[in-house]
Amino acid sequence: MNPEFNYIAPLNLNSALKILSASKSRAKILAGGTDIIPGFHIGSKRFSSTELLIDIKRIRGLDTIKEYKNFVEIGACVTFSQLSESEIIRKYFPLLAKAAETIGSVQIRNRATVVGNFVNNAPCADSVPPLLVYDAKIQIQSLNRKREISLQKFLIKSYTTALKKNEIVTKILIPKPEPELKGDFYKLGRRRAVAISRISLAVLMKTKNSLIEEIRIASGAVTPIGTRLYELEKFARGKAANSDTFKELSIQLGKKVLEITGLRWSSEYKLPVLQQTFYQLLEKVSRDEI
Amino acid sequence: MKSKSIKKVKVKFKLNGKELELETKPNKRLLDLLRDDLNLTGTKEGCSIGECGACTVIMNGKAVNSCLVLAGEINNSEIITIEGIAQNGNLHPLQENFLKYGAVQCGFCTPGMILSAYALLRVNPEPDEETIKEAIAGNLCRCTGYKQIIEAIKHSTKITDG
Repeated sequence: MNPEFNYIAPLNLNSALKILSASKSRAKILAGGTDIIPGFHIGSKRFSSTELLIDIKRIRGLDTIKEYKNFVEIGACVTFSQLSESEIIRKYFPLLAKAAETIGSVQIRNRATVVGNFVNNAPCADSVPPLLVYDAKIQIQSLNRKREISLQKFLIKSYTTALKKNEIVTKILIPKPEPELKGDFYKLGRRRAVAISRISLAVLMKTKNSLIEEIRIASGAVTPIGTRLYELEKFARGKAANSDTFKELSIQLGKKVLEITGLRWSSEYKLPVLQQTFYQLLEKVSRDEI
Repeated sequence: MKSKSIKKVKVKFKLNGKELELETKPNKRLLDLLRDDLNLTGTKEGCSIGECGACTVIMNGKAVNSCLVLAGEINNSEIITIEGIAQNGNLHPLQENFLKYGAVQCGFCTPGMILSAYALLRVNPEPDEETIKEAIAGNLCRCTGYKQIIEAIKHSTKITDG
């Protein structure tokens, strides 16, 4: 049984922000609802103090994907179905389209929003590693302020973000990557459909004269939140794009993840699988490139 | 229970082709509205957390889990439940084929399964087997092993009356 709460669906952003700011932290923003509604049902503590749901789906302009010269904008109410069907996303951000396709089921993807995925900030949020390697920024609005912040900075720890009580994330802004950056997204769940990720990885790489000129690596589910692995990227840049380097990078990744999470009951399985899948991912991406 | 007063939500929507207007509690899920208030018990409650697909309905042409939709969210939308796809007392060809190919055993997943297939066939009248599997990946069946269900859907392609 759901707890008692009020529901309101404002027609513009300004009224939504006014209601939010007047509600003194008792309100939650509702977009796709695929996290918050089952959360109510199972009595999750994350939502137990909610007295008001502000549904932002009636607000005009939040449900569109727009292409500009140097970047693409994804509105706060864009669903995973919209994302995976979008020509623009498939063209410029194939890793994001691939992640979107693997999330939940058709029913979930028809409701769940990509912004909700990281505002919730579960460790296993599948859209996060791709968004991180594409250097996504987000736009946040409150009644009297509009700010932009990188997604990496926005994500603080599991289920915690830099979003203030009176703010709404209105859009994602992703710069179009240089075409030479090739990459892939990998997800491992317990089964193929409707599975929570155990391991997710996103890699973008650019090679020149068989050297790694640029590389961006992000992990999800194996780290407490989706994380860019900047040290590993730095270590890789300038090295030969060959199996020896990829093996070394995979060993380093395992060490890094162990350092972040500590030894867990699942480490014996997860670490070698993580290293092997990362290695295969790098091999695959470099083969596509050459 | 919160001390704050709860205001009912007013919704206007189309249900199986018929316009409806009603007032209900804001914490009511579409699933409960259908089953408890409107007596449409063809929509089943399974897991209640969006994993099993037994409560699948069509909302604005798309398959959704009605356990993950709140009553207020259906305002101005069009909902189709399993009760709405038979026409003039005749079963929909998908329903006929589910019977014909043995795709119904205990029957609990069947309404959701048929509606997921229905939503697919409306946008893609000739899906291949992989596309069918993808469309019903969010519908769990613990009886049939899926083979008969996929067969039934395969034989329902090119049906455009949906």
